[in-house]
Amino acid sequence: MERLRTCFNTFFIGAAALLWLAVSAAVAAPFLWLTAADQRARAIRKFVYVQSRGIVFFMRLAGRGLRVEKAARPSGSCILAANHASALDLYTIGAFGFDNILYITKGWVFKLPFFRYVMNGAGYIDAEKTSPQEMLNACENAVKNGCDIMLFPQGSRKNPRARFKSGAFYLAEQLDLPVIPVAIAGTQKMLPAGSFAIRPARIVLKTFPAVYPKDYPGELGHLRMAQDIKKQIMDFVDKENEK
Amino acid sequence: MITREEIIKQTNDALKKEFEFKDEQLVPTAQLKDDLCLDSLDAVDMVVVLEQKFGVTLRQGYDLRTIVTLNDLYDFIEKLAKAHHK
Repeated sequence: MERLRTCFNTFFIGAAALLWLAVSAAVAAPFLWLTAADQRARAIRKFVYVQSRGIVFFMRLAGRGLRVEKAARPSGSCILAANHASALDLYTIGAFGFDNILYITKGWVFKLPFFRYVMNGAGYIDAEKTSPQEMLNACENAVKNGCDIMLFPQGSRKNPRARFKSGAFYLAEQLDLPVIPVAIAGTQKMLPAGSFAIRPARIVLKTFPAVYPKDYPGELGHLRMAQDIKKQIMDFVDKENEK
Repeated sequence: MITREEIIKQTNDALKKEFEFKDEQLVPTAQLKDDLCLDSLDAVDMVVVLEQKFGVTLRQGYDLRTIVTLNDLYDFIEKLAKAHHK
């Protein structure tokens, strides 16, 4: 039964999801192109949010339930830091209602056909090409424009237990922004790294109350924050994966 | 004065604690960037961690870019510890 469901998910729901991404992009492209240049990046970010909501809908269809637990978000911009084990993780953020997100990702995403236009158009940041100071400046500008900043501090899907690098938390410290820990459980089972088969899985998405840099003073405060947030997220993910 | 063995042990202990490395990763030939995947910010954090551990200043007057492997790092700390002891 599981195998049958996986086949159905992969060939029908997976195909429908890809079709959604392609058709929505084709329909939106002329409107985005006509948008005033200074508003275009924001419009593309909103469009990515709409696409993400669609993918979350397909994940509901393919899975064994999708639960979203949201903590109250602080007013103003914040940094979202999530664990990362699947290509689906990028889209799960749509379930939380953050509709103006600046993603900081690895360089290879900027080289993908079609996606690269969205990545560049939305003003997302290539973490491998950008120096720490340039990143800080770009994030400062994004925050002024009302963006939230999203990072996967593990940097890769290959090791779901990898350490949280401290870059996201250093940014939080420098820009004095709260960090919202985001736990994503179940996507690793649904679509693990290196697989194209979409397995039925129970997905649980949770945001925790914001963590503030002022609670982590000292030169290595961002390192401590990274360790604490990783523990908070992974404890939750482990508990959910055991169920 | 601190011995090289103590430097290696204390450095590895600090790196394991702060950067979640495992024993098998911390071989002297391991390259900080390519094998241990330490980025520029990690390198800064590592320097602060080691300064606190050994009570020496690693940031001023030295070119940290010459430190490529863990062995280079042990050599560097040993040199500083000797200079500090004098």
